[in-house]
Amino acid sequence: MEPETPAEPEVQEIQQAQELPSNLPPGWPVEQGYQVKLEIFEGPLDLLLYLIRKKKIDINDIPIAVITRDYLDYLERKDQINLDREAEFLFIAALLIYIKSQMLLPREQEVSDEEDPRKILVDRLLEYQKVQVACTMLREKEEDQLLRWKRTFLPPVAKPDELDLLEVSLFDLAETFFLIMKRKERENFRVIKGKDVSVEEKLKEIVEHLEKNGQIDFLEYFSSQETMEEALVSFFCLLELVKNHVVIAIQEQLFQTIRVWLRKDRVHQMPHGHSHE
Amino acid sequence: MNEQLKVILEVLIFMSQDPLTLEKIKEVVGEVPEEEISAALETLEKDYSTPDRSIQIVQSGGGYIFTTKPEHDQWVRRFLQVEKKTKLSSASLETLSIIAYHQPITQAEIAAIRGVDSTYSVKTLLQKKLIKIVGRKKAPGNPLVYRTTERFLQYFGLNSLDELPKEEEIAKILEEEKQTVS
Repeated sequence: MEPETPAEPEVQEIQQAQELPSNLPPGWPVEQGYQVKLEIFEGPLDLLLYLIRKKKIDINDIPIAVITRDYLDYLERKDQINLDREAEFLFIAALLIYIKSQMLLPREQEVSDEEDPRKILVDRLLEYQKVQVACTMLREKEEDQLLRWKRTFLPPVAKPDELDLLEVSLFDLAETFFLIMKRKERENFRVIKGKDVSVEEKLKEIVEHLEKNGQIDFLEYFSSQETMEEALVSFFCLLELVKNHVVIAIQEQLFQTIRVWLRKDRVHQMPHGHSHE
Repeated sequence: MNEQLKVILEVLIFMSQDPLTLEKIKEVVGEVPEEEISAALETLEKDYSTPDRSIQIVQSGGGYIFTTKPEHDQWVRRFLQVEKKTKLSSASLETLSIIAYHQPITQAEIAAIRGVDSTYSVKTLLQKKLIKIVGRKKAPGNPLVYRTTERFLQYFGLNSLDELPKEEEIAKILEEEKQTVS
């Protein structure tokens, strides 16, 4: 391709304008109406590189007028310009126009290569082109590697029914307890006759229950308590049991129910509760 | 050729969850000269490279590791019940290769080469642990500086950054493209 001279662009532009539609890649939205929007170009440089290749132009010798025309044409075809996304496209368009204007200016002396206004663009394009080639090569490697399995890439083996158990602190226990108490309060029942419950009795009851059933669902157990007092005593008992290493309390997730098991290594001696008067 | 050493190395590679590095081998086998280890590794690699073997030993991510062959991909996936592994998006790959060649690099520098904002790609790559933040640049705004990770090497089956396609190779391809165009 001949290097562009200031006199020629007019002619070239007219020719280009007529040729354009056939130069567009397939799928390029020419007609209005229903359009499938595809992002053909990753960025402005991508588009520029495409146009240069399409016209079989040497990057070092870009006929700015022709390329600018095509470039602006592409932008015009985008019926809506999203400034945030397309700012980069517009920047390159502006750069192209700037270069074009520079080249149209009559100069007294021939510009040296270093001062060629196209240089800034050429350097960027050459760098970008290198990146593109590197990408193609890395892509090949990626495609090959994706088919080769290594133990390091094994997905973590997790059985869906296996729960993550975490031991809870007394604080969590207390929190859950007060949560339940609040619920009970809302039920708004009245105690007519209080039943005397002693911590000792309750302790025995809980341990027996555990020995029989293996585990207690904290939420269920406590809401089954008849009175506030009884529930309160049960809670103290549970704290006592945890403290004395008789039971283990586990909560799967914060604010969920707490499950209680007897410890296998528990001391069979019952903790001594103080009678509750 | 130290047969016993070779067998031990095979065991170590098998048991290793990460690419087995030479340092780690030396740590385990102790007073064995490095040449002997290298020789044993080489023979071991060769032993596994025969066509009748379905498992290979390769150097990747700075160490030795067992790997399956591409033709068995579908069986592995059926066994693990996983979908085909997804490729990186072209934006991510572009960003990644810029980081690989220009590291350490800031986000602004990446964007300057790509011509587009690369925040999203950088985020994705960080999540995939293919790149990492290594510090801040002493420049206005103290921008974060990125580098590729060991995982990046493994992902592309590279043993070190030296194995990235060289500038000359890239130039050669560009030259060839130019020939076909004109």
